[in-house]
Amino acid sequence: MLTIFQKGQLPKRLHELQQMSLFVGLTRREMKIIDGFMHERSYLKDEVVFDEGEEGQGIYLILEGKVLICHQGQADTPIAVLEAGNFFGELALLDDAPRAAQARAAENCTLVILFRGDFLSLMLSHALIASKLALQLARHLGARLRKVVRSDLGPL
Amino acid sequence: MRAGRYRSGPLVWCAILAATCLLLFLFQKILWLVVPFLFGLIIYYLLYPLQQRLVLAGMSRDTSAAVVSCVAFSMAAGAFALMLPWFGSHIVAWQASGTRYIDGGLRFIVTTIAGLEGSFSLAAKANLSDQVAHQITALSDKLAGAYLADAALTAAAWLPSLLLAPFLAFFFLRDGWRFKKFLSRAVPNAFFERTLYLLDQVDKTARLYFQGLIKLTVLDTLCLAIGLWLIGVSAPFLLGLITAVLSWVPFVGSILGCLLVVLVAATDYPGDPAIAYSAIGLFIWVRLLDDFFFMPLTIGRSLKLHPLLTVVMIFVGGAVAGVAGLMLVLPLLGVVMVLGETVGEVVTDPRLRARHKFAKKLRHRQVTRDLRC
Repeated sequence: MLTIFQKGQLPKRLHELQQMSLFVGLTRREMKIIDGFMHERSYLKDEVVFDEGEEGQGIYLILEGKVLICHQGQADTPIAVLEAGNFFGELALLDDAPRAAQARAAENCTLVILFRGDFLSLMLSHALIASKLALQLARHLGARLRKVVRSDLGPL
Repeated sequence: MRAGRYRSGPLVWCAILAATCLLLFLFQKILWLVVPFLFGLIIYYLLYPLQQRLVLAGMSRDTSAAVVSCVAFSMAAGAFALMLPWFGSHIVAWQASGTRYIDGGLRFIVTTIAGLEGSFSLAAKANLSDQVAHQITALSDKLAGAYLADAALTAAAWLPSLLLAPFLAFFFLRDGWRFKKFLSRAVPNAFFERTLYLLDQVDKTARLYFQGLIKLTVLDTLCLAIGLWLIGVSAPFLLGLITAVLSWVPFVGSILGCLLVVLVAATDYPGDPAIAYSAIGLFIWVRLLDDFFFMPLTIGRSLKLHPLLTVVMIFVGGAVAGVAGLMLVLPLLGVVMVLGETVGEVVTDPRLRARHKFAKKLRHRQVTRDLRC
């Protein structure tokens, strides 16, 4: 039990996760709690992570490699290419709407997944972590909205 | 996976029902393991919220499981140790009470029939009370001689396997999440999200069912205890608790519980059958309250089963695996239903299968890259 109070080195994965914008403001203890809910998966280059229109069940965080976000069947014209430290599929945490785009591994990559069921139980039982995550998600979505508005207005 | 998007077809439903019956049949063969497993699950779901609180407070899962188990089992052992002298001093009295209550119940039945004879001449002509008294005495002698010793031996044989329950509960608390992760790791990437959803649903169904069962038992115990206390029957809380636990077994348990309450009421007030009738009335009222109010609020939420299917499956469970089948059929059907529906959904999804095939091809290409000339 005393290990909770020890100020040792964080495990590598936990350290990498803590650098991500989604987890800004989370303490070491809170990161450990979140890490307990994470699932790590490896994907090969060109492997589909999820399809457009598929029911979303969780958010994906990129630990290693690159992920390509594109419309179904249009991998040649990607919407975005995300690198390690980024996350995608975050809307699945907020509602059960279908995925807006396809995600595909642009190179061999390692992803970490936070399942919506776990996120919701975290929301119900750990308000502090949930509020920090929700704030970062809101900031992320806000930034994306601003970007879309700017691109719609075009150069003034 | 969105509600209403996927509907299981008749084939999937046939498979679900067949799998439930098969599992019930198999479980009946290893009942010595299934019953402690079931009690272990009940203890696990009872302690799970406490463990979860400790985990969310920053404690590791292993430590929290150990702390919660230690505290809960020490409290249970302490309560048992405190009650042991009381048990010892009352055990002889209970033996005598058992006979007294059976006699009291018999007297109540004979008195009721004698009352009927006074009202209906047909019953008087048939000499119903004498006949019934004679048959019941013969039956109770036969029961005592033939089955009582066997029942005592069976109970003694079951005791060691029941001690497995807290042991299993501890490991469910400590390693349950590891098992979940182990299972999900074995799943190919294409099916991963849906498998996570499936595991979550199975866990949720079982958790809601067992937690609902515990809440229902508490509500039943309180209602019966208050009612029996108002009527004036002795040991109302103990009777309420035993009756509530007995009602875990559909139909048979309720009838046994009602009989127990009537026996005690009839013995406590031998000259006043109105008390026994009141106890029967109370029992029926609590059952109605249970079926129409408490159960939909507790267990009903976990298993979204059609009422007709529920009743039919209870009968099927009883036919396939006896009393154990009656008790196990609903939670088992709930879990098999979630598993069957999700596996049906995954297997019948051509896109997911195609993605899995493609991923396998990629993996094959990667591991054979250096083998090509």
